[in-house]
Amino acid sequence: MALLEVNDLRTYFYTRSGVFKAVDGISFDVSKGETLGIVGESGSGKSVSSYSLMGLVPSPPGKVVSGTALFDGQDLLKMNSSQLQKIRGKRMSMIFQDPMTCLNPFLKIGFQLIEPLLIHDKLSKKEAMKKAEQALEDVGITDVKKRLNAYPHEFSGGMRQRVMIAMALITEPELLIADEPTTALDVTVQAQILDLINDLQKRKNTAVIFITHDLGVIARVADKVNVMYAGQILESGSADAVFDQPTHAYTRALLKSIPSRFEKGETLYSIEGLPPNLSKELPGCRFQYRCTQKQKDHCWKDARFPEYADLGQGHQVQSCACTAEYLKEAQK
Amino acid sequence: MKKPLLELKNLKTHFTLQKKSIWNKETLKVHAVDGVNLKIEKGQVLGLVGESGCGKSTLGRSLMRLVQPTSGQVFYDGQEVTSLSMKEFAQYRPKMQMIFQDPYASLDPRMTVYDALAEPLFVHKIVPKTELVAEVSRLMDVVGLAPRFMQKYPHEFSGGQRQRIAIARALALRPELIVADEPVSALDVSIQSQILNLIQDLKRELDLTLVFISHDLSVVKYLCDDIAVMYQGKIVEYAEANELFHNPQHIYTKSLISAIPIPDPKVERTRNRIDLPGEPQSPINPGTGCPFAKRVGSKTCSACRDGLPELKAMNANDDHLIRTCHVEELIG
Amino acid sequence: MSQTEFIEKGNSLWQDAFYRLKKNKLAMFGFVFVSIVILLAIITPLIAPYSYQEQNLILGAVPPNGDHWFGTDTLGRDLLTRVLYGGRISLMVGFVATFVSLVIGVLWGTIAGFLGGKVDSVMMRIVDIMFSLPFILFVIMLMVVFGRNIFLIFIAIGAVEWLPMARIVRSQVVNLRKQEFVEACFSLGFSKRRIILKHLILNVLGQIIIYTSLTIPSVMLFESFLSYLGLGIQPPMSSWGSLISSGVETMEEFPWLFLFPGVVFTLTLFSLNFLGDGLRDALDPRASKD
Repeated sequence: MALLEVNDLRTYFYTRSGVFKAVDGISFDVSKGETLGIVGESGSGKSVSSYSLMGLVPSPPGKVVSGTALFDGQDLLKMNSSQLQKIRGKRMSMIFQDPMTCLNPFLKIGFQLIEPLLIHDKLSKKEAMKKAEQALEDVGITDVKKRLNAYPHEFSGGMRQRVMIAMALITEPELLIADEPTTALDVTVQAQILDLINDLQKRKNTAVIFITHDLGVIARVADKVNVMYAGQILESGSADAVFDQPTHAYTRALLKSIPSRFEKGETLYSIEGLPPNLSKELPGCRFQYRCTQKQKDHCWKDARFPEYADLGQGHQVQSCACTAEYLKEAQK
Repeated sequence: MKKPLLELKNLKTHFTLQKKSIWNKETLKVHAVDGVNLKIEKGQVLGLVGESGCGKSTLGRSLMRLVQPTSGQVFYDGQEVTSLSMKEFAQYRPKMQMIFQDPYASLDPRMTVYDALAEPLFVHKIVPKTELVAEVSRLMDVVGLAPRFMQKYPHEFSGGQRQRIAIARALALRPELIVADEPVSALDVSIQSQILNLIQDLKRELDLTLVFISHDLSVVKYLCDDIAVMYQGKIVEYAEANELFHNPQHIYTKSLISAIPIPDPKVERTRNRIDLPGEPQSPINPGTGCPFAKRVGSKTCSACRDGLPELKAMNANDDHLIRTCHVEELIG
Repeated sequence: MSQTEFIEKGNSLWQDAFYRLKKNKLAMFGFVFVSIVILLAIITPLIAPYSYQEQNLILGAVPPNGDHWFGTDTLGRDLLTRVLYGGRISLMVGFVATFVSLVIGVLWGTIAGFLGGKVDSVMMRIVDIMFSLPFILFVIMLMVVFGRNIFLIFIAIGAVEWLPMARIVRSQVVNLRKQEFVEACFSLGFSKRRIILKHLILNVLGQIIIYTSLTIPSVMLFESFLSYLGLGIQPPMSSWGSLISSGVETMEEFPWLFLFPGVVFTLTLFSLNFLGDGLRDALDPRASKD
């Protein structure tokens, strides 16, 4: 059984301009030792879905409207705050894009690192400090004793990110959610952090949900991939399958628009238009307004969404007549 | 040999952090740009790459005198412009314009699109008052924005559209040279290609000269003719774009290129990354030696500890320059 | 050109803010109450039942009745009339002194924040020094030396109140200056004057409005404090402050002399504060971005 099983999660935001359906019916699962990559642009709902799991959606105006999220058999979405507190930080952790969102600038790093241990594991300060030293060494920080006594502003961006990872992993959680952790980092630092996460995952058999908009990063870290757009999952499957045989028009368009695939002077492939307004009713296929296969009648009349076609070996794609046509052509 | 449009001779921009006084033993200066020599031809697209703190943004601003250089010279169209007073320099401003990274922060939130575009036209009397609306419409058309939106405010547009407005504003004064400082870094992937296509089209139609600053090597490779790689305020390698990628010589360039994640899981799994040893050095009062000499740890590069190697041509054509570095041999 | 025939209207940030303000019931109450008070103050000469100095020594002080809705004071003067006229003075002091402090404070803060460096240091050190002077004493000394001229009150209060405004404006300008749109103004060749007047001040306007609406009640209170000390408005003119201070003396015998001006003054101050708080919440830039 998978560690985390999410079924038909829907999170809506109620604002004066309308109801924004940020996450509109997604289902996925993650097992121990596995990395699930969620890739999507801004507005796809990738971050909101993980905030929903952690109970971090600001409410009002947000609300988890329906769905279940079974973490080791227990539904996260039905828990009250005290039950959630026992899991959050101990069995499930999250790291964010900006490490300063988790680091208190007024407290020493050492204190912040041992805090989850004192609360969740009820360790003594001495034992906790020892663990903290080990945690910092695990993330590749040298001179740990001196570093434990330092303040966040004394670290560089990449090092703060490492400290945040150390903080998230110090209680040995079973699930780590990483929300764009390397987006703001230099490319060489990013490479080091990605290697670090991969390495730690192997050693501790952690399940990882990695959220990003960067396809290259997904290729490096993910075992399986969910491609999200406008609150729904359009395509999912193993990383190899999705990159080798992208089936949904959006996935294909995303992979096509990467600059490295083009020669100088060629016009880049770009996806026309903008992501849709999530407060409006969006019948049928959400991608139709930007799809080059143009609007056929069934694109918006089709009320079957979301339904998925199985392409074998766990590779699924949102089923529609356009995709079926593409598959037929591809097989020829 | 054509006269270059822009020439930089030993340009240095240093920022003083702390003056020497009874409390401080020495003056602390950040050597943001530390001796840069460049020649840019008319119609050329030059890429400036490097990681945060390398000085590429400061260099872009220094050559336009948005930030005043500390020493060295800038020649525009053969004319020395660094020693001119700001009043005398004012006539050059319309010729060089800038596109900034953050599309929201670079537009005055209290001004409509019309206000933002008409203001420069009005101040520099590009067109008579009666033709302002027509010219603003034309500019909006050129960047792919519907003129009927001209009374809207920046917060009513998406990031990509705001960037188009910023580009239209940069074009208002009919410049010859445009410095683009990370213009697509803050945008979604599918929007990035739209804006890159736009920049490319504009460059061709208006015969612009571009200085494209970015940390994203794949974008730079696609758009630029030549690339200069910067590290701690100095250029370490300079070559034609494809040549740089296929035949990088400096270890820093190699580490940058190997760190870019490639959207192909199979390739990512089998890659080997080249990592620079040690920690990045502080740009404060760096001294005269090579910054890489200190990174190699115990095996200091004694050859370069005191004197910085020159930027020398590798081949007869004088078009691939590198600052010789021994680090690779030392870490063996 | 058919494309420009139909130009869509935009929603400025002001409109967004105004919408938020309207939803805030307390702030709207404040706005309505203050508007009514101001309106009454303006039309006072038309509606006041008596003259404010008309004495009726035979009558003396009487509690509220049909002829005198607020009662009369010890000299037989109608209290309602005096409260109305007192409102004119208090509000005038409030608005004019605030306006003076606004002009000085905004210009000072903007120039210091924009120019930066040594100029900024010197200008703000002057503000710091003036902040630490015991201003109450300074004002009192002025009053004692030059007499209780109403214009002197404006000047004295304005001289104190511009300081916090300068600090707030300066820090806002320093922040704005780092924003890329200000850099863009430089690269587009705009003059410093244009940047300050057209770009910086408009963007600081939100904070200025908020601070102004909170300064007015503070100024009015300061004036009433001066009146309490006997340094404020000269009789027979009255301000709410002077009415309250003389009402306090006869609080036990003639409570209405203290209650009416006190309640009216307090309600006005509350209203201005509610409005100011509402404006601050409505104009909060974080709420309107993206």
